[in-house]
Amino acid sequence: MRRPLIGLTSYAQHVQFGRNDMMAGMLPMNYVKAVHATGGRAVLVTPDDPGTDVLESLDGIVFTGGGDVDPAHYGAEPHPQTEVDAIRDAAELLLMRAALDADLPVLGVCRGHQVMAVATGGALHQHLPELIGHDRHRAHAGTDPLAASAGDYGRHDVVIAEDSRAHDLFGRHVSVNSFHHQAVADPGEFVATGWCPDDRVIEIIEHPGRRFALGVQWHPERTADLRAFVALTEAALIDRKVAAVV
Amino acid sequence: MRPIIGITTYVMPASWGVWRDLPTALLPHDYAAAVTRAGGRAVLIPPDDQDTDVLRVLDGLLISGGPDISPGLYGEEPGPHTVIHPERDEAELLLLQAALDRDLPILGVCRGMQLLVAAHGGTLHQHLPDVLGHERHRVAPAVYSRHDAVFTPGSRIAELMGADVAINCFHHQGVADPGKLVVTGRAEDGLPEAVEDPDRRFLLGVQWHPEVGRDRRIFGALVAAAAQSS
Repeated sequence: MRRPLIGLTSYAQHVQFGRNDMMAGMLPMNYVKAVHATGGRAVLVTPDDPGTDVLESLDGIVFTGGGDVDPAHYGAEPHPQTEVDAIRDAAELLLMRAALDADLPVLGVCRGHQVMAVATGGALHQHLPELIGHDRHRAHAGTDPLAASAGDYGRHDVVIAEDSRAHDLFGRHVSVNSFHHQAVADPGEFVATGWCPDDRVIEIIEHPGRRFALGVQWHPERTADLRAFVALTEAALIDRKVAAVV
Repeated sequence: MRPIIGITTYVMPASWGVWRDLPTALLPHDYAAAVTRAGGRAVLIPPDDQDTDVLRVLDGLLISGGPDISPGLYGEEPGPHTVIHPERDEAELLLLQAALDRDLPILGVCRGMQLLVAAHGGTLHQHLPDVLGHERHRVAPAVYSRHDAVFTPGSRIAELMGADVAINCFHHQGVADPGKLVVTGRAEDGLPEAVEDPDRRFLLGVQWHPEVGRDRRIFGALVAAAAQSS
């Protein structure tokens, strides 16, 4: 059976590897492995190109984690802690709107979840610690984020609304890792269906008018719980069968 | 819709921002930029050994530069200066063979050219300074050395390059025997710098780095050939 082709948006980032120090198109391998482990074939979609024609070749797309979305895209002034990634913003807002228009199966992870909200008229909280008075969405107190191992992500519960796609996937509760300092304030055309019970920070959004458009604020690609990726791959397969019948 | 050019990637521990040494699929930005400038749409193809299914959406394949290929691919033991990434070899060879079966347009750059040669029964010199007695193909870390190449009149690369034969090199291995491919360009010291298969629609390997200057002659030719298969 052919594997569905899943695009992953990628960073354009100055990066050090081996003896090299240069601008690269790049993405942590966790995302690639998560797609391959759940039956898809990953290709990286670089942000250095403003076109959306690549979507015609994909069966599904993941909008991945990364830097902050420029608040200008939701009509706010930048907070001092906001570090924007303008190149990715331009490419991903276009791609997100085009993917939703085409009803391509879409998964948003962390920044990608936030791009979903902003691309459909929503808005973000720019710095959670000022809103909720703690920084537990970024890391456990006393851990070193520089170590960059999965255990350094702050862990917390998410409670999930009944009668939602997320509920079908995860049930009433899911325990998640967390590494972000911004969050969705207004989900735009999406609907919030999962929250952190301690502080009501939005953790899951989904689009009621699309076959599969789900955003999660955490990082499933860094865990053994790949249910969000499984759901994307399944939606991508169904999408293609429908296309084949038509 | 623009022709889609798949570009193979590195997988290396990489560091950026707060992150240190995360296993990362990556590719120098120049490659995608060169494809974009030439009118194609680049997608990056991280290594995968399951199948070559991804080729069904590609109009052209670019095998990028990187570390040395495994000398086992041409029947030799690794020498002391040879640095290999066997999982990348395996994934790229799988893609390359399937792309050849489909007669997909293929461009190999640096390591990519060397892989083309090995896949066609050729062999490499594992460390050029030992063979040539000089280091003019890799003068210093992160420094490209300029050479004037000599191209075979009538070859694809000669037609593409025209009067401007300056090339930028950064490699310590080189082609010893091109196998079934034809050497169509050489450096001033005689080292092969370009290989082709004249019987195929588009199969070109260059030992230098045309992506750094976004060379529209070479990337334009790849995209044009890919446009005919899309």
